[in-house]
Amino acid sequence: MAGVQVGKRIIGADAPVTVGWENIGKVEGGPFKQFFFTYFQPAVLFGLIAFWYYAPNEWALASIGIAIGLGFKVLLLGLEWVNPRYRSWQLTWKEFSTDLFYVGLGYTILRMVDAYIGDGVMIEAVQNAFDWEKFSWFTGLPLLLQAILISMIFDFGQYWMHRGMHNWYPLWLTHAPHHYITQLNINKGAVGNPVELFLIGLGIGGFFDFLPRAFLLAGAIGMAVSTYQHINVRFNTPRWWRFIFNTVEHHSVHHSQDYEATRSNYSGTWIIWDRIFGTCVDGEAELLGMEGGRRMDITETMHYPFTEGYKTFRAWLNRRFAIPAGAAHQPEPAE
Amino acid sequence: MRLALPYIERIWRAEGEVPLDEPLTPAEAFARLDPLFQTPGTTYAVEGDTLTYAKHNPAAQDKLATFTSGTLRVAQQQDGAAKLVFSVKSKALLMVFLAPLLFLAFAQIMTVANAWEKAAMEAEQAEAKAAGKDKEGDKARPKAELHPLDKMLGAPEPEDPSKKKDEMKDKEKFKTTPAYVLAGIFFVLFLVGRVLEPWLLKRTLRAALASATTESESADSAAELCSGTT
Repeated sequence: MAGVQVGKRIIGADAPVTVGWENIGKVEGGPFKQFFFTYFQPAVLFGLIAFWYYAPNEWALASIGIAIGLGFKVLLLGLEWVNPRYRSWQLTWKEFSTDLFYVGLGYTILRMVDAYIGDGVMIEAVQNAFDWEKFSWFTGLPLLLQAILISMIFDFGQYWMHRGMHNWYPLWLTHAPHHYITQLNINKGAVGNPVELFLIGLGIGGFFDFLPRAFLLAGAIGMAVSTYQHINVRFNTPRWWRFIFNTVEHHSVHHSQDYEATRSNYSGTWIIWDRIFGTCVDGEAELLGMEGGRRMDITETMHYPFTEGYKTFRAWLNRRFAIPAGAAHQPEPAE
Repeated sequence: MRLALPYIERIWRAEGEVPLDEPLTPAEAFARLDPLFQTPGTTYAVEGDTLTYAKHNPAAQDKLATFTSGTLRVAQQQDGAAKLVFSVKSKALLMVFLAPLLFLAFAQIMTVANAWEKAAMEAEQAEAKAAGKDKEGDKARPKAELHPLDKMLGAPEPEDPSKKKDEMKDKEKFKTTPAYVLAGIFFVLFLVGRVLEPWLLKRTLRAALASATTESESADSAAELCSGTT
């Protein structure tokens, strides 16, 4: 496979990747379908921003945000059914059940772990270590500006954590199981080893003191953009949107079977971070996963970072210290 | 070895039959089903009129992804017609059946953690009271002001943080509701899967058996089948 040169890199040499917006698929169907799947994403984003901006204080609660998020996911599952991006990604009962297991971990036991050793503790420690009163000017900024800054700062942290996972082996071990997913559906963001889900949840957005409403707005922006990362829906995403925000097109390139393509599009919400740091590849891919698309089951996903890390460590030890069998002992080189 | 667990087995085992529209010999019928077993991680063997298969971690889109092992038998009926009788097992169905127990266990762990947190907080408050300190009174946070632009656009004013204190008391640190809801969802998901998946299996088998294959393909596949596993 020849691949396509993007900057200094060749994308698509190992597995098929479509590079360039002019080459990606379009929504097929009548005018209503075209209209709906072109403007759905911006309409939801602006609708949610307006809701959280004007909602009375008794409505502006995290619990209502979670409820809206769940309702939104159910709606998106319906859209996946109506207008799938690829038939080969179609949701099955077994895939849905498997995904739901990981989603369930995130809502229950991982939340507890986070509270004791995760960002809850980190944020408290950092907040106690510095005089954050100096940052009180932040709460005086316009709400939308606060929200965009919170979202961008949080995503900046995620960008570097994610990029680190692809470049430093111990972190990669935790992230690798997520790259064994062979199709994208909206719950696939939760699929992975719990250690990774814990690490990726460590954000720096929470260190600032901000108005609760700004935080809810930031959450709404994140939800109305990053949820589409793993969606199996064909959209005609507006040009301005895909320039600023991460899309399923970008993220499918990141999950493709092509090694070089996986080393791109690291951000969760703001693809602009990838553009700034030179890791953005505009395009899409259908063939996803590792090892030619081998599916990783739940058991392997749970133990992979530890067993694979142990295997690598053993191999390193053998290379470092073991004398190859049959090699004659030669204390001094012959002169 | 198959244990006799007639009622419990229904959790993970599905049995049924698909009538053959045209008279087919077992070799012909299995030749038509052959594409279902030409997938990575699949082993199968034919012995007379019975095909036994097992799939190790099949791909997401594998037509037999849910039922990862079982037998298919071509039975001749007295009236001359034939039918395919299947008896298949699903680890996924069993796991989904057991999943509610896991989430109920998580709920119990959270309940214990909540009780422990509450006791720790009460002890801390009692200690603070004994020391004569009112911890909550130390840091009275001022009410935040909206930016003039937001005031102009009509965004609601932020609440006074001091008024919210009482609402935070007696709240559980970890909400157990999601765990109970998930247990319920998995229970429903099991019921759906237990009905839907055997129905889809029947549809898959019926479609595969109805697919016309050329004689040469059938003969080749039959020869491969008789040679054993892939």
